[in-house]
Amino acid sequence: MAQLELNEVSKIYRVGDNVIPAMDRVSLSIAKGDFISVVGHSGSGKTTLVSIVGGILRPSSGEVLFEGEDICALGDVELSTYRNERIGFMFQFASLLPMLTARENVMLAALFGQERSREEQQRADHLLDLVGIGERVEAYPGELSGGQQRRVAIARALMNNPGLILADEPTGDLDEETEAEIMKLLGRINREQKVTMILITHNAALARTADRMLRMKNGRLVGVTERE
Amino acid sequence: MQITFLALALKNLKRKAFRTTVLVFAIGLFVALLVFAVSFSVSITSTIDRVSKRLGADIIAVPVGARTEAQEYLLESRNTSFYMPAALLDEVQRIKGVRAVTHQTYVTSIDGLCCDVIPTMIVAFDPATDFIIKPWLNRAIGRQLGPGEAIAGAGTAENLGLGLLGIEATLFNNRFTIVGELEATGTGLDNALFMTEESLQEIIASGLSPLSKDQISVIFIRLDDGLDPDYMGRVIEGQVYQVDVVTRSSMGVRWLSTLADINKIFLVTVSLSSLLTIFLVWSIFTAIANERIREIGIMRAIGARQSQVVKLFFLEAVMLGMGGSLLGVLGGTYLSAQLAASFALMNSISAGLEFWQQLAIGLLGLLVGGGVCLAGAMVPVNRIKKVEPLLAIKDA
Repeated sequence: MAQLELNEVSKIYRVGDNVIPAMDRVSLSIAKGDFISVVGHSGSGKTTLVSIVGGILRPSSGEVLFEGEDICALGDVELSTYRNERIGFMFQFASLLPMLTARENVMLAALFGQERSREEQQRADHLLDLVGIGERVEAYPGELSGGQQRRVAIARALMNNPGLILADEPTGDLDEETEAEIMKLLGRINREQKVTMILITHNAALARTADRMLRMKNGRLVGVTERE
Repeated sequence: MQITFLALALKNLKRKAFRTTVLVFAIGLFVALLVFAVSFSVSITSTIDRVSKRLGADIIAVPVGARTEAQEYLLESRNTSFYMPAALLDEVQRIKGVRAVTHQTYVTSIDGLCCDVIPTMIVAFDPATDFIIKPWLNRAIGRQLGPGEAIAGAGTAENLGLGLLGIEATLFNNRFTIVGELEATGTGLDNALFMTEESLQEIIASGLSPLSKDQISVIFIRLDDGLDPDYMGRVIEGQVYQVDVVTRSSMGVRWLSTLADINKIFLVTVSLSSLLTIFLVWSIFTAIANERIREIGIMRAIGARQSQVVKLFFLEAVMLGMGGSLLGVLGGTYLSAQLAASFALMNSISAGLEFWQQLAIGLLGLLVGGGVCLAGAMVPVNRIKKVEPLLAIKDA
């Protein structure tokens, strides 16, 4: 059974009398543990796709089934819970809160959860250790490099044991060496923790390392390439 | 260990320490003004109310034209003299609905040859009918005053420098033993020297006082239960032409009328400053919301519900409101205590607040300060909670 299923999902924006399709009848199916990359030019609908899957944007039509449940039918509270418990987000910019330490940024994901645990700090420390910055738990984002900030963001994405990580060009503003390290880390997490990964990237070489590469153009899914 | 909304709100406030401080001071100033205005108003009205209650009479009858002087004495402790025929006591007593009457006679001592104390109001009362002084007397010495004995009001004892019981004083060439000191009542009677009617007659007999034998100053009247004092006051004035009456509701009416005007000024000032404070909080929270829109988007993306975003902002608003209000309550209380002496209105009637009143005004200040802060934050918070997470992240 597919973990994630999109059926004829479209997103249109209306600006005055103009109708702008951001995503046009996209259907796909992703199994648990898959590593998917999404490529395409700017405006091709990549971010719209992961935003709809992640529940931070509602589609205009179609259905998005996560483990059999249509997330488009969820209200704010249920959708927030879905994002909190089942999805881990990584954005294309530094997304840490500047007044919180690395540890607190990771623990933030647990703050919004329905079930709190006394071991949140231990888990945050463990995850920061896992992503390789266990010695910087008390550092503020301003004291961390871009690569270190991305590592904290990965740890935060993993905090609530999500089934799916959505990474929207998470290495876009990093140098090649750091980019390679982060991608290696994401690949390791995908393999070892069986977390499904959807990665948006402009980098064709990186995209080809995924199990499956989705190509988008003008809001449509125009090609799927399986890794050989 | 867990991270909490309270800790998060506190960290947010610390990020812009100067802005937070300005906002806290602005709220503090508003609350200080509110606390000062309410303290001023309540202390005067409650003092007048307290005085009228402590006197223990439903109606006070005074000679025609002496209404103001009587209140000046009872509320302000001003030495004054006014007299009417003692026969009026019986006339008032005969009126239907009057349950009990007692009278007092006021005379001011004269320092010099006849008296060896500074000018003091001497209040003579009739122990047989009195219901005003007797309760205080019982608490102070546990017995009635005898001939040649006097007891000092709390203020008089202080003014005369009485520290020891049994000291002697000469009043209109008569020797009196001051046998004790009454507890403070907050009325003008605190600044008097009390003696019985019998002792006063000896003073009158000396020929040195301006009084004649059958003169009295005021008649205190108690009514039958359930009767309206204002209505009965009109009845008494209608039947006994030589008296004016002061009822509880008309006690201190001159001060209350002045206070009503001052209250209008306070109302306008407090209303305007509350609007200004709400506007300030609104504009600052709008700026805060705009600054943090991406952070809100991120928090929403990682699972924050709309209600949790509201909770976070409202916690910040409440902390600001409470911090400012606390500052304002302390400032306003200090201000009202310091400035009390500068206001003739407060000074003249020794207006003051009891502890529970100060506490209630402080709580009111905290509530209003917090409320104003929440009201100011409501619109921007309500706007930001509805922003779609993706739009919040992209638009920032």
